[in-house]
Amino acid sequence: MTVQLEDVTVHFGNKHSGRTCALEGFDLSVAAGETVALLGPSGSGKSTALKAVAGFVRPTRGRIRLGGNDVTDLPPARRGIGVVVQQYALFPHLRVADNVAFGLRAARKPKAEVSRRVGEMLEMVGMTAYGRRFPRELSGGQQQRVAIARALAIQPSVLLLDEPLAALDAQLRADMLGELQKLRREVPDIAIVYVTHDQSEALALADRIAVMRDARLVDIAPAAELYAAPPSAFTASFLGGANLLPVSVDEGAVKVAGAVVPGLKPEDGKSLLCIRPHAIRLEPPEPANAVEDVARLVGRVVAAQWRGASSQVTCLVDGLADVVVRVDVPADRRVPELGAAVVMVLPVEACSLVPAEVG
Amino acid sequence: MLVWTRTGKAVVWIAFALVFGLLVLLPFLVVIAAAFAGSWNGVLPSDPTGDHLRQALSGDELASLSVSLQTAFMGGLLAVVIGTWGAMAAYGSRFARVADAMHHLPIAVPSVVVGLGLLVAFSRQPVLLNGTKWIVVIAHLVLMVAFSYGTVAAALQRVDPSYADVAASLGASPARVLWRVRLPMLLPAISSAAGLSVALSMGEVGATIMVYPASWRTLPVSIFALTDRGQTFVAAAEAVVLLATTVVLVVILDRLRGRAVER
Repeated sequence: MTVQLEDVTVHFGNKHSGRTCALEGFDLSVAAGETVALLGPSGSGKSTALKAVAGFVRPTRGRIRLGGNDVTDLPPARRGIGVVVQQYALFPHLRVADNVAFGLRAARKPKAEVSRRVGEMLEMVGMTAYGRRFPRELSGGQQQRVAIARALAIQPSVLLLDEPLAALDAQLRADMLGELQKLRREVPDIAIVYVTHDQSEALALADRIAVMRDARLVDIAPAAELYAAPPSAFTASFLGGANLLPVSVDEGAVKVAGAVVPGLKPEDGKSLLCIRPHAIRLEPPEPANAVEDVARLVGRVVAAQWRGASSQVTCLVDGLADVVVRVDVPADRRVPELGAAVVMVLPVEACSLVPAEVG
Repeated sequence: MLVWTRTGKAVVWIAFALVFGLLVLLPFLVVIAAAFAGSWNGVLPSDPTGDHLRQALSGDELASLSVSLQTAFMGGLLAVVIGTWGAMAAYGSRFARVADAMHHLPIAVPSVVVGLGLLVAFSRQPVLLNGTKWIVVIAHLVLMVAFSYGTVAAALQRVDPSYADVAASLGASPARVLWRVRLPMLLPAISSAAGLSVALSMGEVGATIMVYPASWRTLPVSIFALTDRGQTFVAAAEAVVLLATTVVLVVILDRLRGRAVER
């Protein structure tokens, strides 16, 4: 069953306290079996979009359809959508098994069916041994599994996840990411909408990523495509922290700080060169001998951060004021000293052009 | 800790113990001593006796205890129901501030004024309550609603609204969300409001003294009347009864609350 949002707009507040627009003209379609991540910084409207689908907020404009049926005016209880919220909201006065059974009992399912289904769900998330516990006796990761089991117990055709990993520490987050990938395979027919501000979660889980900013959809595309060829400067830098360098066009050639980028065709309206930090290579400032499809920018190192598996080196390009270039240097390569002159080597196959920000 | 040295700490503690003992503990001890004193002419009471306590637990005075308990349970517990209802209804509504102000009016106004207001309002047709026990119950109800409302409203501020959202998304009707999620999660606050209401109602004098009929005299009013007539020792004995009853009630309600939190 597909989820469709058409021109959904949400305002908060009233005439007296002033209205804020939390979501503006949002279109989205998620197919059965597909995972779409809503990715954006805080305040970008991604959680509001999810709440509109769940029915927790009422859109001021636009329609929401589930499997073709208009549910815009239906209360959450009649939508049949599984929701996992950020802090999980496990009912603190109910045991784990009763939490999972909550939706089944609300639907007045027979007792035998309730206990069978609760058993299945707890087994699926590996929490069978914890049915008699109270939520506060569980770790964050365990609480999250119970929240997922509770949401899936009602056999929803759509599952909404609102920052499910944000409350966990780094190690646990990596483990739970693996569990969510496994879960995806267990429920192959469900449409999943996954709200996150973390690009690595979006890249790991989503088939398509919708990048959001200031209550609007910026770009939506399959994850790999969005990463390889970002359609906008915002997506380029938010998803993967790309470097954006202003280009000039001279006699049909694209130039960055006077250096020609060989083989890159200029395109109308696209005035920024986008390249990922790991694609750039640093070399000592010596004349190039080999003929390669590369652009060579001369500059110097202004900062270096050691990050274990790699170092991130920040460089300034000669002739480009106020533009910093971040370069990931793998641990087996030598990190140039601060202030040292370097040549940044930009392989053309890693370069793409994006339009500059408007406004 | 602002004071670091050992002697400094000792001085602070002794000063605190003196003030606390003199102002809080001593009056209690004196009341208890007076309740069991046959006479008190010197510095210390003499002729210890249980007569006053026996008198305080018989006839009219025992009836006062029963009246106080009935009033506290009817007025106090009804106040919890109404206060909880009011707090939940006002939560998130644009009338929340008005509701807050209205509910706090009875404690902002002196209780004597509340009593006088009720007396004037309900002394004639169409609603004639003066001379019945109901006017006392209503006076207590009006005063205790404010405390119940405040306690529950404060607890509501701390409950994340996403619990109710999630319950609804799981298919629960609004009534089911209320009875299975919202109220159980407020249970600790509701039972602590109940304890507070009952305890305050047991000790209420200001409004009661304005409205009580002869047939419905609460324990604090009896204590006041006895003291007024010069029967200080019997009044002290009644005060001990009042104290003991209130402590027992609050402890029981607190136990119930503890169970609610554990669940």
